[in-house]
Amino acid sequence: MTDIMGNGLNMQYSLLLPEILLGLTAFLVVFADLFSAELKIGYRLLPLLTVAGLVAALAASLILADQNSDFAMLVTVDAFTTFFRVLFCAVAIALIIGSHEYIESHVNHPGEFFALLLLSTAGASFMAGARDLLTAYLAVEVLSFSLYIAVSLGRNDPRSGEAALKYVLLGGVASAFLLYGLSFIYGVAGSTQYATIAEALGGDVSAVRGELVLGLVLIVAGLGFKASAVPFHMWTPDAYEGAPIPVTAYLSATSKAATFALLLRWFAGPLLPAINEWQWMIAVLATATMVLGNLVALQQRNIKRLLAYSSIAQVGFMLMALVGMSQITAGGLLVHLGGYLITNLTVFIAVIHFYNRTGKEQISDFKGLAQTNPYLALVMTAGLFSLAGMPLLVGFFTKFILFQSVVEADFLWLVVVAVVASTISLFYYLQVIKQMYLYQPDGDPARWRLTPTGYLTTGVLLAAVVVLGVWGTPLYEVADHAAAALFPA
Amino acid sequence: MIPLENFLVLSALLFAFGLFGVLSRRSAILILMSVELMLAAVAINFIAFASYRDTEAFSGLVFALFVITVAAAEVGLALGIVLRLFRERRTANVDEASSLKW
Amino acid sequence: MFDRLPLPSQFDRTIIAGGTVLLLGATPVLVVLAALLVVDRITAPEFVFFLASAVLLASAAGVVLMKNIVHAALCLVVTLLGVAAIYLLLLTEFLALVQVLVYGGGVVILLLFGLMMTNAQDDPVVTDGSQKPFAFGVAALIAGVFIAMALDAQWGSPEAAIIPLPDFGARLFRDFSLPVVIVAVLLDIAFTGAFVNARRADAASAARGEARS
Repeated sequence: MTDIMGNGLNMQYSLLLPEILLGLTAFLVVFADLFSAELKIGYRLLPLLTVAGLVAALAASLILADQNSDFAMLVTVDAFTTFFRVLFCAVAIALIIGSHEYIESHVNHPGEFFALLLLSTAGASFMAGARDLLTAYLAVEVLSFSLYIAVSLGRNDPRSGEAALKYVLLGGVASAFLLYGLSFIYGVAGSTQYATIAEALGGDVSAVRGELVLGLVLIVAGLGFKASAVPFHMWTPDAYEGAPIPVTAYLSATSKAATFALLLRWFAGPLLPAINEWQWMIAVLATATMVLGNLVALQQRNIKRLLAYSSIAQVGFMLMALVGMSQITAGGLLVHLGGYLITNLTVFIAVIHFYNRTGKEQISDFKGLAQTNPYLALVMTAGLFSLAGMPLLVGFFTKFILFQSVVEADFLWLVVVAVVASTISLFYYLQVIKQMYLYQPDGDPARWRLTPTGYLTTGVLLAAVVVLGVWGTPLYEVADHAAAALFPA
Repeated sequence: MIPLENFLVLSALLFAFGLFGVLSRRSAILILMSVELMLAAVAINFIAFASYRDTEAFSGLVFALFVITVAAAEVGLALGIVLRLFRERRTANVDEASSLKW
Repeated sequence: MFDRLPLPSQFDRTIIAGGTVLLLGATPVLVVLAALLVVDRITAPEFVFFLASAVLLASAAGVVLMKNIVHAALCLVVTLLGVAAIYLLLLTEFLALVQVLVYGGGVVILLLFGLMMTNAQDDPVVTDGSQKPFAFGVAALIAGVFIAMALDAQWGSPEAAIIPLPDFGARLFRDFSLPVVIVAVLLDIAFTGAFVNARRADAASAARGEARS
C-alpha cells in the first residue's frame, strides 16, 4: 500500500504484536470478570490472566528485538522501542504479582483495573515507539485516561474520587497546552511526521521563530505536567495520596518512564535541530524540580506523599540529561530510568505489603518494623538507600552514570545542584529508616510474615537492586544499545 | 482570502477565554466546559495550519478530528468522576473537595 | 428532586432572553461589517469570518462569566456552532459536520445532564472563586503573547489548499490506520471510566459478593 505521497506503507501488523497481545488480554480479562459468576471463576484468575498476557507481550517484544522497521510510518520498532516495551511489561508484571492481594481488597472493579493496566501499558509502549505526532498524542491520552480512572478506583477511600477529579481536570488543561504546542510545531513544519519535522526545523525557520519557541514552551509545559516537573507538579502529591498504592506505584513508574521515552524521542529526533530554543527551558525546569522536590519532601508525614515528592525530585535528575542532549546523556538517562524503576517498585511493593498488614500509611506508623518484620525493613532500607544513591546499590550506579554523562555534556553546574539535592534527599529517606530501626513498635510487637508472592517479588527486586548495583554492565549495555537507535549514524 | 493570522488570533483569544474559565470557575463541570473551549481553539489552529501550511493538507485535519473525539471522551470520563464525587460529598466544586491539600 | 429542576417554561424564557441578547449584541457588529463589505474594505469570506468570530468570542465570554450555569451551557452551544462556522470557512465541511453532531448533539447534552444532576439541583446560580483578578491576569498575558507571536511570524504568502473531501475517509483509514484503532481503545477506556465511577460502588461490590458466595 502507498500513502498520498506515494511512499510505500509497511502494514506489517506482526510488528505490533506486543500491543495487540496486551489489548486482547485486556478484553479477555474484562470478559472473565463480567461472566465470573456464570463461568464459576474466582478473583484469582484475573491477575493470572493479566500476568500471562504481559509475559506473552514481553516475549513478543524480545522476538521483535532485532527489528529496525516501522509500521505504516506511524510507529517505529527499534532497539529503543524494545527497551521500553520490555521495561513496561516487566513493571506491570512485578506490580501485579506484588500487589494482587491489595487489589482484591482495596480496589473497586478489579477486572476493569487489570484491563486498564494492560491498555495503559500498550499506550505507554506506543509513546516510546511513535514516529508521528498523532500516534504519540493518542498514546499519551490512552495512558492518561487509564490513569485518571485507575486513581478513582480506591475502595472506601473518600480521597480517591477527589484525587481523580483534580487529576482529570488538570490533566485536561495540560493536554490542551500540549496540543496547542503541537499545533504550532505542525504549523511551522507542515507535517506531523518526526522525520519531516526534523528536516523542516533543520532548515531556515527564522521567519516563524516566535511561533516555534511558543510551541516548544507549551509542549514542555504539557509534558512537564505529565512527568510532574516543578512548577507543573501540583497534582502529583494529591493524586499519589488519593490513589490506591499500586496505582501510585504505576504513576511513579510507567507513567514517568513513558513520558521520558516520549521526551527522548522528541528532543533527540524532530526537535533536536531547535536545541538552542529549548535547552534553557529544560535546564530551568530541571533545577527547579530538583531543588523544590527535595525541599518539600522534607516536610511530608505520609509515606505516599513522601514518595511523590521523592519521585518529583528524581524527575529533576532525569530532566538534567535532556539538557545536553547527545547519545551519551540519552544512554545515561535510560540507565537511570531502569535503575529508578527497579528501586521505586521495590519500595512501593514493600509499602503495599506493609499496608496490607497494618492498613496505615503514615511515616510514623513504620515504627519498629525492624522488630516486627526485619525482612521487610531490610527491603525498604535497601530501596530507600538506593533512591538516595548509596554505593553498592543500583541507585548509586545509575546516578553515577547519569551525572557523569551530564558532566561530559558540559553542564557541570547542573550536576553540582543535583549532588547537593541528592544529599538533601538522604535526610528524608533516613527519617523513614530511623522510624523502622530506632523505635519500638507502637502496637502489636508480634512478628509477621509476607505472603509467598510478596516474598517472591520483593526478593527478586531486592536481588536486582543489589546485583545491578555491584555489576551494572548488562543494564548499561542494553541502555547504550537503545540510545544508539535514537541517533542513527 | 482570509489571512492565516486571523485564525491564529481568534484561536489565541478562545484559548485565553478557556484558560480564564479554568482558573476562575469553581464548579468542576464549568471547568470542563472551559477546557472544551481550549480544545476548540486547538482544533481551529490545526485546521488553519492544515489548510495554509501543509502541502498535503491532511494530517492536521485528522489531528483536529481526533482532538474532537478525545475531548468528547474526556467529558464523559470526567462527568463520571464528578457524579461519583457529588454522591459522596454533595458538592461539585473543586475547592470544597479539599480533604487533600490542593 | 424534580420540583427543584428548572421548569421547561424557564428554559423557554432563557432561550428567548438569550436570543434577544444575541440579536442586540450582534446587530451593531452586523451593521459595521455590512458597511465595510459595501465599501469593499473586506471580502465576503472575511465578512462571515468576522461575524462568526464576534458571536463566538462573545458567547465564549458568556461561558466563562455567566453566573447561571444553564445560561453558560447554552452559551457553549453558540460558541461551538461558531467554531463549526469557522471550520466551514476553512473549507472543511466534514469537520464542521462532526463538530455540530458531536458537540451540539452529544457533549453539551452530556454537560447539561451533569449540571442538572449536581449544581443545578440545588441552585443554578454559582459563585466563582476569589481568584478572578489573577485568572484574568494570566489569561490576558497568555492571549497577549500568543497574538503577538501570531502577528510577528511571517508565514510567507500561504495559499489555502483545497482539501479533497471525497477521499478523506480512504486516507484516514489507510494513512492513519493505527491512530483510528488507538482512538477506539481510548473511547473504550473512557466508557469504562464513566461506567465504573457512575455506578454505585456499594452496589457493585454487593453484586460481586453475591456472585462469589
